[in-house]
Amino acid sequence: MSVLQTWLVQALFIFLITGSIGVLLDPCGRINPESPVVQLGSNFTAVCVLKERCMDYFHVNANFIVWKMGHFTIPKEQYTIINRTAASVTLTDVTSLNIQLTCNILTFGQIEQNVYGITLISGLPPEKPKNLNCIVNEGKKMMCYWDPGRETYLETNFTLKSEWATEKFADCKTKRDTPTSCTVDYSPVYFVNMEVWVEAANALGKVTSDHINFDPVDKVKPNTPRNLSVSNSEELSSILKLTWINSNIKNVIRLKYDIQYRTKGASTWSQIPPEDTASTRSSFTVQDLKPFTEYVFRIRCMKEDGKGFWSDWSEEASGITYEDRPSNTPSFWYKIDPSHSHGHRSVQLMWKTLPPFEANGKILGYEVTLTRWKSRLQNYTVNDTKLTVNLTNDRYIVTLTARNAVGRSDASVLTIPACDFQGYLAESKCYLITVTPVYADGPGSPVSIKAYLKQAPPSKGPTVRTKKVGKNEAVLEWDQLPVDVQNGFIRNYTIFYRTNIGNETAVNVDSSHTEYTLSSLTSDTLYMVRMAAYTDEGGKDGPEFTFTTPKFAQGEIEAIVVPVCLAFLLTTLLGVLFCFNKRDLIKKHIWPNVPDPSKSHIAQWSPHTPPRHNFNPKDQMYSDGNFTDVSVVEIEANDKKSFPEDLKSLELFKKEKVSTEGHSSGIGGSSCMSSSRPSISSSDENESAQNTSSTVQYSTVVHSGYRHQVPSVQVFSRSESTQPLLDSEERPEDLQLVDNVDGGDGILPRQQYFKQNCSQQETSPDISHFERSNQVSSVNEEDFVRLKQQISGIPQSCGSGQMKMFQEVSAADAFGPDTEGQGERFKTAGMEAVLDEGMPKSYLPQTVRQGGYMPQ
Amino acid sequence: MLACLCTVLWHLPAVPALNRTGDPGPGPSIQKTYDLTRYLEHQLRSLAGTYLNYLGPPFNEPDFNPPRLGADTLPRATVNLEVWRSLNDKLRLTQNYEAYSHLLCYLRGLNRQAATAELRHSLAHFCTSLQGLLGSIAGVMATLGYPLPQPLPGTEPTWTPGPAHSDFLQKMDDFWLLKELQTWLWRSAKDFNRLKKKMQPPAAAVTLHLEAHGF
Repeated sequence: MSVLQTWLVQALFIFLITGSIGVLLDPCGRINPESPVVQLGSNFTAVCVLKERCMDYFHVNANFIVWKMGHFTIPKEQYTIINRTAASVTLTDVTSLNIQLTCNILTFGQIEQNVYGITLISGLPPEKPKNLNCIVNEGKKMMCYWDPGRETYLETNFTLKSEWATEKFADCKTKRDTPTSCTVDYSPVYFVNMEVWVEAANALGKVTSDHINFDPVDKVKPNTPRNLSVSNSEELSSILKLTWINSNIKNVIRLKYDIQYRTKGASTWSQIPPEDTASTRSSFTVQDLKPFTEYVFRIRCMKEDGKGFWSDWSEEASGITYEDRPSNTPSFWYKIDPSHSHGHRSVQLMWKTLPPFEANGKILGYEVTLTRWKSRLQNYTVNDTKLTVNLTNDRYIVTLTARNAVGRSDASVLTIPACDFQGYLAESKCYLITVTPVYADGPGSPVSIKAYLKQAPPSKGPTVRTKKVGKNEAVLEWDQLPVDVQNGFIRNYTIFYRTNIGNETAVNVDSSHTEYTLSSLTSDTLYMVRMAAYTDEGGKDGPEFTFTTPKFAQGEIEAIVVPVCLAFLLTTLLGVLFCFNKRDLIKKHIWPNVPDPSKSHIAQWSPHTPPRHNFNPKDQMYSDGNFTDVSVVEIEANDKKSFPEDLKSLELFKKEKVSTEGHSSGIGGSSCMSSSRPSISSSDENESAQNTSSTVQYSTVVHSGYRHQVPSVQVFSRSESTQPLLDSEERPEDLQLVDNVDGGDGILPRQQYFKQNCSQQETSPDISHFERSNQVSSVNEEDFVRLKQQISGIPQSCGSGQMKMFQEVSAADAFGPDTEGQGERFKTAGMEAVLDEGMPKSYLPQTVRQGGYMPQ
Repeated sequence: MLACLCTVLWHLPAVPALNRTGDPGPGPSIQKTYDLTRYLEHQLRSLAGTYLNYLGPPFNEPDFNPPRLGADTLPRATVNLEVWRSLNDKLRLTQNYEAYSHLLCYLRGLNRQAATAELRHSLAHFCTSLQGLLGSIAGVMATLGYPLPQPLPGTEPTWTPGPAHSDFLQKMDDFWLLKELQTWLWRSAKDFNRLKKKMQPPAAAVTLHLEAHGF
C-alpha cells in the first residue's frame, strides 16, 4: 500500500512538473513494453526512452536513468545504456507475481524524478488439462470436467470444444468460478460418437488437452429410481419385496441395479449380490432376512454394461418382515416354597421373556403344562412370566412354550423332583451333571459336565473296517463306542496291523478321530487289522479285520494302456500315411506292372487302364510304358502324316459310323503310343514325350468319335472280351478317357482329370454353402426371437397416446388410397420382413444367395 | 478322422477370419446406427404426441386417418417386400441417407413454425439427433466404401409455407411428415438389423469350410 502511495505521490509530482512546462499528462519518457506478462523464473528486459524535451529541461541523458522496483533501486550492473535517450534494465529470474517497475532520472542535486512506471505481471503458461471426462445427467445437458493442472497465477480461460465426425458444436466457455467444468448448451445425442477436448489459454500460451471420443450414452448418469416401496409376505417371513419406478431412460438403455439394506438402527449396509440385479427390472425380492425385523433399503441404477455413472441413491424405504414362530424356548426355572403344608407344596414357575431375535414376533402368551407321574395333564395359559401352582410331593414334569401370531416355540422342559428325592449312582455309568445358577430374576445359563463314579475298561472294542484301500495305503474307519459300553472316558485307540507273516505294528490314535490312514503298505498283500479302545482303567480289543492291498493303484493300468494304444495308433497312422505317399515307389518295388502276354491284344487293354489309374495320368503312362517296344518307326510315320489326312479319316469315320478305318486309326494311335513310351528312358523326358504324342492327331479322330458316341462304342465292340465294353458303357466318362488314351494324346486325359477334379471343387463349395446356409438359418432363428420381440414392441408401445393412429395406419391403408394395394403389401412386407429375418429356412436359396453377397 | 482333425488344427492359424485383430469392421457402427434409429423412434413418439396436440383436433384424435394429400414430395418408406429384400447394401444405405436428408430439411421447417418454446426445443433436439443419424449412416457408408449420394443441384427440398396451402392443409402436411418419419425409422431399424446380421459371418461356417479343406 505504501508502495502505491509513494508511486502516486511521484506521479503527482511528475504531473505538477509536466503541468509546469505546460504540457498536461505528458510524461518525460516511456517504458517499453507497457504492460508486460512474463513467465515466472524467466528474464525480463524493459527499455526506458527519455524525451528530448525532458532531457533538455533537466539536463540529463540515458546515463542518468535509475530503475526502481517498488522502493528498491535496481543495481547499475543490470542497466544497459542503449543510446543517449534510452537505457534498458534486465531482471533475471522473475519470481514475484506483481512488480512495480519505474524509470527515474537523477536530476541536478541527486533528486530522483519519476519518469514512467509499469506493472510487471508474471505467471505460468497453462498446463495441458488432464483427466477430461464428461457426464450426462439424464434429461439434462452434458457436463465435462477436467484437471486444469498447476496454478498459473494469471487469468486462464478454458474452452470446451466438441464435434461429431460431420459437425462442430458451439464452444463451451467456462465460468470464472468453475474453471474445471463446463456444461454444454445442447442435449447430447445418444448413440452418436462425439469428440471432446479442452483448450486452456492465458497470456503466456495456449494448450489443448487430449481428445476423448465417446458415445454420450456411455456417460449417462440415470435419474434415481423413484417410489421405492417395501412389502412383506405372509407366506415367507424371510423375504421382503421391493418395487420401484425406473427413470425414463430404461426405454433407451438397459439398466443394472445396486440394492443395499440394513436393519433399522444398524450403521453398515449389506449389499445384494450385483449379479442378481444385473438387468432392467422394477421389483426385487430380498431373501434370507430375519423374521419380524425392520429393514431399510435404498437403490441406485446405471447402464447395464457398467459404462457411465451410478445414479444417486434413492430415498430410503423400510419394511418389516412377517412374523415367524419363536425360534427358541424361554429360560425356565422353579422355586419351591419351603413352608409347605401337609402333602402339598407351593411351587413358583418363572421364565424370561425371549429377546426379539428369538421371539420372531409379538409374544401373545405362554402355555405351561404340568404332568404328574402317570397322571393327566394340567394346562395353563399365562400372559405373565411366572406362575404359582400347588403340587403334591410327587415328581412333576413341566413344559413351557411361548406363542405368537404365527405359532409356538419348542417346549422347554423342567423336572420338579419328588419331595423325597435321593440319588443312587452306579459305577462305570456316564452321568450328565447340570448346574443351573438361579439369580433373583430367574435362572442363568446351565453348564453340564459328564462324569463317572468309577471308570472301567470298555466292555467292547471298536469295530474297524476299511474305507478305501490303495496300493500302498489303506484308510481305516470306525464308529465311536456307544456310551453304555464305554464304561469310562475313551482316552485313545490303538490300531494293530500285521501281514500274514510279519510282525504286528501298533499305532496310537487320539480318541477324537474316527478315521486313520495306514501308509507304506506293501501292494498285493493280505493285512489283518484290529483296534483297541482305552479308558483310564484299561482297554479292550475289537474284532479283527482282514483286507488285501491291490496290485495296481487306481488308474495305473489306464495310465499305461492308453498312451501305449495312442502311440500304436499314431505309428500305424504314420505308417499308412507314409505308404500312401510312397505308394508308387512301393508298388514299383513290390508288384511291378507285368504285362500279361496272353492278353496282348492291343484293343483290349485300353478300356481297362484309365479307370484303374484315373488319379494320375503319369501313372498311367508309366504302366503303359511297360508295354513292349514296338513300332517306334510307326509313330514317326504317323507323326509325319499330314493333317488333312487325319481329317479325311475323321470324315470317313463320321460317314460310316462303323468303320474299320476309324478303328484302325485307333489302333494306330495306340500302337503309336505304346511305341512312343519305351523311347522314354527317363522321367525327365516324360513331358517332351507327352508333347510329342500330343502332336499326334489321332486323338482328334477318336475324340470326335466319342462325340458321336456310337462309333466309339463300335470300336470297342471288336474287343475279345465283353466285360470292358459293358464297363465303358456304364461309365461314359471312363469311356471318354479311354478314347483319349486311345487317341494317344497324353494331355487330354489329364484335362479330363482336372475336369473331374474341377467338378468336385464345384460341388464341394455347394455343399458347404448349403451347410453354411443352414448355419445361417440357425443363427437367424435365434436372432429372430429377439427381433420379433423388439419389433413387436414397437407397435405395441406406439398403441398408446397419439401415435396409435400411426400403427393402425401403417398396418392398413396408411399409405393412402392411391396405394391401397401397396399398403396392403407393405403390411405383409412389414410382417414378412420380420419373418424373413426369422425364418430363412423357407427362403433357403435366398440365404445362399445372400451368402453370395458376402464378399461385397 | 484324426488326420482330418490334425489338418484342421494345422490350418487354423491360417484362417484370416479367426485371426481378427485391430479393425473391428463396420459391425459396431452399424449396431450403433441401429440403436440410434430405435432411440429416435422413441423420441419421436413423445415429440409427435406433443406436436399433434399442438396442431389440435382432428389431428390429435387417435382414429384420425386422413388420405395422403399433397405429401408427395416426402420420401416414402413403404416398399414392396420383394423389392426391399432384394436391395443391396449400397442401395439400402443410400435410400436411407437420402430419405433422412430430405426429412431433416422438412423438419427444420416445422421447427420454425412451432409456437411454444418447449416444442421448439424438442424439435431442435430431434433435428440434431436426426443430423446425428445422417452422420452415422454416412459413417457406415464410408466404412463400407460407398460414396455418399450427391444432392442434385436445384432439387434441394425446401419447406414452402406457400399461401396456396390453407392452414388445414398445412397441418395435414405436418401430420404426414411426422408419420412418414415414424415409418422411416421403423424401416431403418429393419434395414440396419439386416445389415448387422449380414456383417457378422457365422463362425460355424468357417469351421465347416475348414473341414472341407481338411479332406
